[in-house]
Amino acid sequence: MDVLDLARTQFAVTGSLHFLFVVLTLGLAPLVAIMHTRYAVTGNPIHERMTRFWGQIYVTNYALGIFTGLVMEFQFGLSWSGLSHYAGDIFGAPLAIETLGAFFLESTFLGLWIFGWHRLPKWLHLACIWLVTLTAHVSAFWIMATNSFLQNPAGAVERGDHLVLTDFGALLTNPTLTMALPHVIGAGLWTGGFVVMGASAYHLFKRTSEREFFTRSLRLGVITSFVGSLITVGFGYAQFLPLSTLQPDKFEASALTGASLGAMIGIGQLLQLAIMFVLMPVVYWLPRWRWAQPILMVITPLPFLAAILGWLVRETGRQPWLIYGKLTVADALSPGLTSGMITTSLIGFAGVLGLLAVVDYVLIARTVRRGPAAVTLGADGPADSTERAHALSY
Amino acid sequence: MDILWFGVFALLLIGYFALEGFDIGLGLLLPVLGRTQKDRDRIVAAMAPFVLANEVWLVAVAGVLFGVYPSIEGDVLFGLYPLVVSLLVSWILRDAGLWFRRRLDGRTWQAGWDWMICIGSYGLALSWGMALVALAGGLSGPSIGLLGLGGGLVIAAALAFHGWTFASWLLPGQVTGASRDGRALLASACVAAAPVAVLLAAAAPWLLDHTAPTGTLSVLSVIVLPFAPVMVGAQVWTWRTFGPRRAADRIPSFF
Repeated sequence: MDVLDLARTQFAVTGSLHFLFVVLTLGLAPLVAIMHTRYAVTGNPIHERMTRFWGQIYVTNYALGIFTGLVMEFQFGLSWSGLSHYAGDIFGAPLAIETLGAFFLESTFLGLWIFGWHRLPKWLHLACIWLVTLTAHVSAFWIMATNSFLQNPAGAVERGDHLVLTDFGALLTNPTLTMALPHVIGAGLWTGGFVVMGASAYHLFKRTSEREFFTRSLRLGVITSFVGSLITVGFGYAQFLPLSTLQPDKFEASALTGASLGAMIGIGQLLQLAIMFVLMPVVYWLPRWRWAQPILMVITPLPFLAAILGWLVRETGRQPWLIYGKLTVADALSPGLTSGMITTSLIGFAGVLGLLAVVDYVLIARTVRRGPAAVTLGADGPADSTERAHALSY
Repeated sequence: MDILWFGVFALLLIGYFALEGFDIGLGLLLPVLGRTQKDRDRIVAAMAPFVLANEVWLVAVAGVLFGVYPSIEGDVLFGLYPLVVSLLVSWILRDAGLWFRRRLDGRTWQAGWDWMICIGSYGLALSWGMALVALAGGLSGPSIGLLGLGGGLVIAAALAFHGWTFASWLLPGQVTGASRDGRALLASACVAAAPVAVLLAAAAPWLLDHTAPTGTLSVLSVIVLPFAPVMVGAQVWTWRTFGPRRAADRIPSFF
């Protein structure tokens, strides 16, 4: 592989890993916020336990979203300095707005939510998780706006050797943004719903003592994935019309693009119909049907797979362009980038992030397996006897 | 407006060293101050509620670098390529240590991730020191050298001092055996941020020369500045919630 292929591989690997975790973050955040709201309103302990259990899965997943996101943010400057030279006056603005107006707040409020259990007043603590959810979606908006500029450079004209911003409104009403953003948010809900459904099916199948907890959770998961799948599929098909004029050859860009599109639609359409016509009508009885639970567990990873395939379509479909029709990927490569540099960073990033991703998924699986009783998020007493002794020694 | 955005950029970078500086510093001192698992738990629990609010300042620095100084963003990051890579890998390992250390109960598991916090913190401090030396030299020399290593050790010492002061302020008489008041913490924050502040002052004319056009800055100002009070408010709230009077309670820390 030459330098360009290696740099593209690095971006594809870190970007795919990033979205694998972000898609679940986007879907679980509103679910945890709703559970927390029900707890705050009713005071019913089952809602507190649901908030803490699904909340711990949410924040464990969140960690890898941060790690991979850091690499994404700095990678533009490392490998693709041609992009900021040519289009930085426009491309940089939504990224800067995302970091200041969204992620800065998201991270601060998440810290307050995670460590604010038993310290913050009830309603302020609840406000934190809603602010995290809100800023996560604002963040998704700006990142998608930035990506949409690469798909269709709206609101900019070429002056001399670089692009200048002429119409910020056009950047925000980009047709490749308005249909794709709900598609991504829907996919998040779908993924979050499926994880809740699959994990609940595991406990019901194993006949653990948490029957009521996971009966409620399974129903919530199915209903969430139903809503998510409708949004995802609807706004998926809705993208074909703007693409037919803006990127008419997108799906013929490479064999990978066409195959990914076919596989994504195949998975998405079949699952969506199955949720609508099979799972939803029986959602009340589904938690009692033990034979169905292994099937629910097996299909849990499919929305993740479809989400990665979707990004493959979107990103390979604009090749060889980085900014469609304006700047090629090859021209954006940092001048002077050597094979040794990119190989070292690729091994470093892919190795470290890949290993941590595996560890993270093992920890999430373990949190699921051990169940709500073993959750440490928001625990209000010392976790074990040695700590209890330690606490008493104060 | 270019002055205003230089001010924002400088504030964020200085803020990063003044705030995240004590997290990195405590990571450096973790094996020294925390000889037992219980002591390390106590040190990490002290800094844990601040980490997410602190490290995000650097994410914002990178965002503003891209948005406000796009013509030099690529040159600066690419010019520091090996250091940016080691900084990111170190940052990720330090964070992984924090997030993962209490997810399993095993002694080896927790001690192993505690070492990862320490190693990651050393990587962060040394990468920063070398990067600041390379930037001060105008990115002309090799990014890794003896002078850079010296810079790394200076930064590591400054951050360790800041971390030690933070622990003495939040947990007086417990981890370090010393007590420090808020003024001492402010002073150590100044020590941690001083090198980067000097560099920013020297680089100010160069940065101002490379500011994005007014149109881009106007958009940034209109959209971002209304959120500034919320950002400040959230940071202040974090300090009020997890400050010294609340630190010694018996709630087990998530990290």
